[in-house]
Amino acid sequence: MKAVVGLALLLFIAMALTLVVGVRDAGISDLWNAFFAFDANDPTHAVIRSVRVPRLVAGLIAGAGLGMAGTVMQAVTRNPLADPGLLGVNAGAAFAVVVGALLTGYADSGMMAALAFPGAAIASVAVFLVGGARSGAGSPVRLTLAGVAINALLLSLVSAIILSRNETLEIFRFWVTGSLAQANTRPLEAMFVALVLGAAIAVIIAPRIEALALGSSLARGLGTKPGAVQLCALLAIMLMTGAAVAVAGPIAFVGLVVPPLARRIGRHVLRHELAVSAVLGGSMMLLADTAGRLVVAPAEIRVGIMTALVGAPVFIFVVRRLRPGALT
Amino acid sequence: MSGEGSARKIVGGWLLLGGLLAAAILLSLMVGQIMITPAELLRGLMTGAGPGSLTLRVLRGPSTLTAVGAGAVLGASGAIFQILLRNPLAAPDVMGFMSGAGCAVVAGVAFGLFIPLPILAAIGGLVAALLVAGLAFHRSGRQSPLTLILVGIGIGFFASAVSSFLVLRMPPQEAADAQRWLAGSLTARNWGHVLQVFGLGALLFVVLALQVRAMALLELGDELAAGLGAHVERARYGLICTGVLLAAVGVAVAGPVPFVAMMAGPLGMRIAGVRHPASRLTAAAIAGATITVLAEVISRSAIPGLQLPVGVMTGIMGAPYLLWLLWKEVEAGEL
Repeated sequence: MKAVVGLALLLFIAMALTLVVGVRDAGISDLWNAFFAFDANDPTHAVIRSVRVPRLVAGLIAGAGLGMAGTVMQAVTRNPLADPGLLGVNAGAAFAVVVGALLTGYADSGMMAALAFPGAAIASVAVFLVGGARSGAGSPVRLTLAGVAINALLLSLVSAIILSRNETLEIFRFWVTGSLAQANTRPLEAMFVALVLGAAIAVIIAPRIEALALGSSLARGLGTKPGAVQLCALLAIMLMTGAAVAVAGPIAFVGLVVPPLARRIGRHVLRHELAVSAVLGGSMMLLADTAGRLVVAPAEIRVGIMTALVGAPVFIFVVRRLRPGALT
Repeated sequence: MSGEGSARKIVGGWLLLGGLLAAAILLSLMVGQIMITPAELLRGLMTGAGPGSLTLRVLRGPSTLTAVGAGAVLGASGAIFQILLRNPLAAPDVMGFMSGAGCAVVAGVAFGLFIPLPILAAIGGLVAALLVAGLAFHRSGRQSPLTLILVGIGIGFFASAVSSFLVLRMPPQEAADAQRWLAGSLTARNWGHVLQVFGLGALLFVVLALQVRAMALLELGDELAAGLGAHVERARYGLICTGVLLAAVGVAVAGPVPFVAMMAGPLGMRIAGVRHPASRLTAAAIAGATITVLAEVISRSAIPGLQLPVGVMTGIMGAPYLLWLLWKEVEAGEL
């Protein structure tokens, strides 16, 4: 109960800060009025409704999606270093959208964003094949290095494509490190639906994933088909990661930092962990974004850089805690 | 390893390695917005006049030579760590030393410190190496190379994030330049860069030559090396320092170009067909130079009228190699 209140409070604070803080300071009364007594001539109201609310929604979609995707990946691979950003799944989604825009000649739009899903799926399959997940549990090192390689390859290609199209620096930054600054141009409604679908699949198969963690022969005895569960997990990861990348670009480390905390708070029940990681992921994303806007105001540090500043030390911490045997 | 046939094979391997570098340099000097024929280049070299001379002196000569120097120091640096840790993944780019060096350079520029870039890069590289070694240290005893590599990757993530953070605090024009440099860039290098990378590089290669005997002993294993009269720890720390400094020299002129250091060692060893540390280091330097020159010429001529950062190209070349390496190890059941 204490945990639920704490999480709700955290989320509330993160959301309130996102709406209030910015170049144009808004008070609580402005916030209230913007929603309940909207005045079209008040610039503060306009900023809140057309810039900060989309930013809030995008941050929640991306944070919740990456947090839950990270939790599913870590549960399926039993690898505490699994994160959609580090394993190249985000990069796959970004790459597919950028290539789609290149081939069709359109600027990237809502239609293009749908390409994030197959991109995420193909990159996940590739990283698990190269990472050796098919021959039993892939080791953390192998999987991480495969992710580093796939990330480097895809993001180099994304850079080359965007630079060759003479796109603006803003677009380059969005597709290489991720940002919430263009939230009002992203297809938020559609991606919210995708996120909910992915989350629903994850919640439905959560007990099966837990059974799988007992070992595949024991899981079969309990009536679980490992292949089918893994396929469903892949589908859930694809939907949640694809939605996150389509609204916020390839942001790393949220899916690494959130799951271990969710495991503690959710007491190792995967369904609870999923709910906790959605809240924690969303809050982390919003807080990182708000901090990034405060540090160098009126400029801003992209949220992907802020999550990396927090996430890289966590990565090292997790590596140090791996048992030596877990490395080989 | 003995006999006529293998000696001939080794000579052939060295010739092939050298020939590839020469071909890459020639290609880099010829190709560009205006094609310059070898004859014109030769005339320019002899007479000091005409388009060939301009290309050599100003347009492409300095960039190409900087690429040669940077690639050579990075390749040698990568081979040092690969030999010491006996792991093809141990390289200053994978383990975050180059990101650390890049971060220190950006910090120096951002805070307006008047410290020469190679010194900043060296400080950043050494700090990153210390952090990696310290954080990978395990109470239970020896640290495994894999922990070192993973912690190094983490340090690399952190250093890159700090660099991006610092870049955004700079004035816009400076920030754009810094961002390009961080992606690894060899655009518009001048003779100062050439002098710097070859001068400092030569100095470090002399130091490395003095350490090569100890390195060969270390390869036999710590106990045997100590029995043969090597100061194991001192030799190892000395070699690590040289390796980090070599990487820093490369970073200072070309930015933290990814994957050159990682690719050069195994590639050079395979082409030249050599095993001894001294030969492996030399082969890695030549291979590193070749890779960097090729990446430089492709990055500026792949898309007409557009200069991609050279790091984008080495990323596109190096990542598939890393994937192949992992795939092979997975097949072999190693790693």
